[in-house]
Formats: sequence, C-alpha cells, structure tokens
Amino acid sequence: MGMGRQMRPTVDEPWPLGIAGSALFHGLILAAIIFTFHRNFTAPEDSHVVPVDLVTIAEKTNVAAQAPPTPEPEKIDRPQPVLEAPPEPQMAEVEPAPEPPIPKFDIEKEKPKPVDKPQPTKKQQAQDFNALLNKLTAPDKPVKTAKAGPRVIQAQGLGNAMTADLMTALQNMIYRCYSPPTGVPNPNDLVVTYSLMLNPDGTVGRVQLLTLDGNSYTRAGAEAASRAIYGCQPYRLPPERYNEWHEITRMTFHPPEQ
Amino acid sequence: MKKLLILCAALLVASIAPAAAALQVDITQSNPQPLPIAIPDFLGDPQAGANIAGVVRADLERSGLFRPLDQKGFVEHITDINKVPTFASWRSITAQGLVTGQVAQQPDGRLRVDFRLWDVYGESQMLGLQFFTTPENWRRIAHMVSDAIYERITGEKGYFDTRIVFISESGPALKRVKRLAIMDEDGANPIFLTKGDYMVLTPRFNPTAQMIAYMSYIGTKPRVYLFDIETGKQEMLGNFPNMTFSPRFSPDGNRVALTLETAGNSDVYMMDLRSRAIQRLTSDPAIDTAPSFSPDGKQVAFESDRGGGQQVYLMGADGSNQHRISFGPGRNGTPVWSPRGDLIAFTKQQGSIFSICVMRTDGSGERVITTGHHDEGPTWAPNGRVLMFTREISNNRGSQIWSVDVTGRNERQVLTPGSASDPAWSPLIQ
Repeated sequence: MGMGRQMRPTVDEPWPLGIAGSALFHGLILAAIIFTFHRNFTAPEDSHVVPVDLVTIAEKTNVAAQAPPTPEPEKIDRPQPVLEAPPEPQMAEVEPAPEPPIPKFDIEKEKPKPVDKPQPTKKQQAQDFNALLNKLTAPDKPVKTAKAGPRVIQAQGLGNAMTADLMTALQNMIYRCYSPPTGVPNPNDLVVTYSLMLNPDGTVGRVQLLTLDGNSYTRAGAEAASRAIYGCQPYRLPPERYNEWHEITRMTFHPPEQ
Repeated sequence: MKKLLILCAALLVASIAPAAAALQVDITQSNPQPLPIAIPDFLGDPQAGANIAGVVRADLERSGLFRPLDQKGFVEHITDINKVPTFASWRSITAQGLVTGQVAQQPDGRLRVDFRLWDVYGESQMLGLQFFTTPENWRRIAHMVSDAIYERITGEKGYFDTRIVFISESGPALKRVKRLAIMDEDGANPIFLTKGDYMVLTPRFNPTAQMIAYMSYIGTKPRVYLFDIETGKQEMLGNFPNMTFSPRFSPDGNRVALTLETAGNSDVYMMDLRSRAIQRLTSDPAIDTAPSFSPDGKQVAFESDRGGGQQVYLMGADGSNQHRISFGPGRNGTPVWSPRGDLIAFTKQQGSIFSICVMRTDGSGERVITTGHHDEGPTWAPNGRVLMFTREISNNRGSQIWSVDVTGRNERQVLTPGSASDPAWSPLIQ
C-alpha cells in the first residue's frame, strides 16, 4: 500500500476497525479496480468479417445470345417472360459469418416493441459508491472530488457542457455522408438509432442498430445511416479525450421534413 | 486515520469517473445525393452482358437516385460472380453499391440472368436473384434487375418494368395525325397501335396492362373504346347516344369510370365491365369529369366546376359524400390518385400558366412540382413517386412527354418518336 508506517498496526495506535474493517477496505479497493478496468475483460469485437452467401451454380455455357427478331411496327407480339423463384442461396464451405451491419427487418410480422433500455449497471454501481463515500467521509470534511460523482451519473444521459463540442464535431462530420431516402410518405419511418464504438484512430469499431421495428423505408433509412457512419470515417477528434468519445451510446438520425 | 479514509475514497472516485463517459449524438441534417453504384458489364456473352448492364445503368441513373460509375475507373475486374469482391478496391473509387451479374444461355434456349447486389461498406451481399426468359425479352429482365436493386436500396417498389401508352403526333400543324402508341418506360420498343385515320385521346391502362381504354372520334362523336394489346382488337364501350370520354379503370380492372354527356351536362358514371351495367355517380348541373380511383377502389377523385371554376372533388365509388378538396389558387383539374394512396396529382391553371401539382388526399400540403409553363395531364408510376406529364412546346411546335420525381427533382424529357402527349403509365408488367 505504500502508505507508510501509519498503516501498520502498532501497540500505541491499533487499527481502529479490526479485521472486518480491513476486509471491507480491501474489498472496496478490489471492486474499484475491477470496475475501472472491466472493459478490458470483455473481448474486442471482430470488425468486418466478410460473410459468404453463395449460390453454387453449374458450369456456364458460353453460347452467344441470339439476335432478337426485328420488331414489326404494326404487329403486337409480346411473349411473357417466365419468372422462376430464385433458388435458396447455399452456404459455401467457409466458416459462417457473424451478422453483417445490414439491419434485417421482418416486414411481414407484427411490429415488436422497440428495445430502448438505458444500461443500468454502471449507474447503479456509481450510486452505490457515492453512498459509500458519504458514509466513509467525515461530515466536516466534504469529499474533495465530489464533482466527479454527479458527472458519473450525468454521462449516462444527455451530453453535458463538456461533451457538447464533441457532439457538434461528430454531427458536422457525419451529416455530409448521410443521404436518406427522399419522397417517402412518412418521414418518421426513417428515424433510426445506432450505438457505435470508435477506435483511437477515429475509425469505426462496433456498430449496432438499436431500432428494431419499422417497414421497408426504415430499413432503407437504417442502411443509409450505416453508410454515413462508415463513409465519413476516420473521425478526427482530440485523442487526449478519447475516453469521452470512444463510445457513442445513441446516434439518432432524423431526416429533415420533405 | 481520517486522512487515510479520505485519500482512499478519493482514489476510488477518481478511478470510477473516466470509465463511464459516454456520448449521444443527434444527426438532424442530411446531404441527399444519388448513390454511387458500380455496375460492370455482366459476364457471359459480351454483347448480352453489356446490353443488360447498360439498361440497368440507364434505368438507375434516370431515376435520379443512383449515380452509376464509369467502368473505365474500376480497379477490380470481376471474373466470377460467385466470389466475394475485394471491397477495398470499390471503396477506393467511392462506390457504395456494387452489382455483379452474368448471362447464360440455357440448353432449352432460354436466357438465364443472375445478379448480386453488394454493400461495399458493410462488405456483404444485399440481394441475389436469378431470372429466366426467352432471349428476345432481355430488356424486360434488365428492367426487373433494376427494379430489384431500386427496391432493395430505397425501400420502395421499382417502376422500370412498365410501359407507357401515349398519343404520338406527326404531320403538319393543320393536318396533325394522332396515333395511339405504346413503348417501354425508357422509350424503347415504340409501337403504333392505330393507323391515325381517326382521332384518339386520353388512353389509360387497365391494371393487368393488357387492355387500354381511350377516347376516339370514330364517326362524329367521341366514344370510349377498349383496345386489347395482345389481339389488337378493339370494342366500343357501351353505345350511348351522346358523348363519352375520360375513361379510367378501377384498380381491380372490373369497372371503368367515365364521363357521359347528356343534354349538354357532363356527369361521372361507373360501368361494370362484366355486366355492362352503368351507374350514375354525379348529377350536378355543372361539368363533372376526369374521374380517378383511389388504390383501394373505394373512392373517386374528379374534376367539377360546380363551385365556379374547375376544382378537385372526392366521392365514394357509389357517388356518396361528394366534397371539394382543392382550395389553392387558380383552377385545379385532371386529378390522379397516387398508387401509394397518399397523394393526388393534378393540373393547376393560373392565368396562362399550367403546372403539375400534388396535394394530400385531404387537400392539404399543396405543392407545385414542375417548372414549365404549359404542363398538364399527370400520370403516376406504379410506385407512386414518379410522374409523367405532357409539356407543350411554345410556338406551336408540338408537345413532349416529361417525367419528374414527386419531390420536384429530376425533371427530364422522355424520348418519344416525334411529338407526343397524353401519357398513361402501366402497372408493373405481370
């Protein structure tokens, strides 16, 4: 611990809290370490593994196409083409790929309820720690780093003054690549939300679509938003503040009224 | 001891704070651009492969929503459509979409066309389809490929595998010959359906796209005729003593709404094509004409001057609940209900200026969407977002057919064999 000799119990100054107190303190330190570095315990996601979805097609013939008959101006003779259902694509002998970033909507089914829960774990832990801090510190000496407490909770909600400039920077960088569908009957169908992680070099890491219900326009809008996210990388943001912009928990795309 | 506690607490808090920072961003601006897409010539027969890819590129470019890239700039050369492309090389030429395809002649003589649509950023296949047809139908296959790509990217149905029926005009100004004509939506394969020895006006498709209803002056009075495209036969629709005009099919193809004039008064009537029974829908002393069905067939939009000048009205398909919906400036007529159901397009006349407008079905949100001075007679593409209309050229030089997107963008001329007017858009060909 390196705290000097005051830590060692002596006859003159015994450890006031006893074994239980020592265990508690060790537990707190351990918890703090785990909490701080827990991200490093989760494996990083693979980026961009190319899925393979191939149709095995028999050998091609290389017969020249027949020249179409010259159409006679007055005679109407339009043979109808025969459409056959395309065969189900067969997987080739390669490892199956993870879900691509293209969102998949099951348009025929009923719309499921949107999943939109904030992550409660970290907030709860932060509150617990705050409560502990209040208990541990003496009443006449306020905790010097108290302002770090509210910041912990606020960061889960809207950005505060410290991150507003980052929000603006990202908005200005991404909108140029955002080309949503136009002329749709209901522009609200195009509103989609993603969460994403950015690498320190500003390239895009993991991207996840949070909007789960919608129609074919929603899918088109989500894909346009995804193209915007990938298209405008790398994002040039201050590297010394990487801890502030490495994760965007909610990026919502609102196409303007048409 | 208390100093120790405070110090440890500070350590705890300092270690918590940086880990939980997170950001939320709202993107409220956009930059709509045509999607850059790479469509190399299809593999297989070089001529067929180039022809089909060429039609697909032209279709997508003409929609105004895609920007096919020049093949000369391609870095990777596709040699096998079953191999995953090198997406980095397509990104390097700014392509966001990639289409690879091949054409093959089957042993039974049919043509087989395969294609795959790739998402370049997401590095995955978005779509893969196969088509079979007789070789002379290759243009239809190309249009179906375009429709599939269009629908997958935009979320809307395509409109490239459709036809336009229109009036083709030729001859000097004093002796104009008007013939009924039909062509592919991109202007290919124009065919004349009538010889021009009688006047034809306002052709309209029926929903199965094999029959056209139009007005003709065979004899002295205008009558509505049904023309069967496959057989070339035509028949008169009813034998009414007076004029009949402005026919329009119901979405199920079983009824035709038309205008009958009796004793100088024009009203909208409904005829059942199977029973030939006829029902009168309006009985106003004013001129009621130009009926157009809603996509569900339950309502009819029409033009009436019962309030003074021409305005757009709605009613039930049985003639009930007739009410006006156009309250914007000028005269408003020739309403056409969008196949999507959300909008009604119409012709607005203000002074000497005629323009194409759209409004919602309750009359709100009126917008002018064309820039010419004499634009009239709109018709919707089956996906309800593109319109064609007649644009008259000044100095009596005839007329042209133009198209425009429902947003008002991408106004462009449709190529026709000479002067043309009165376009009507077919449904997607079955």
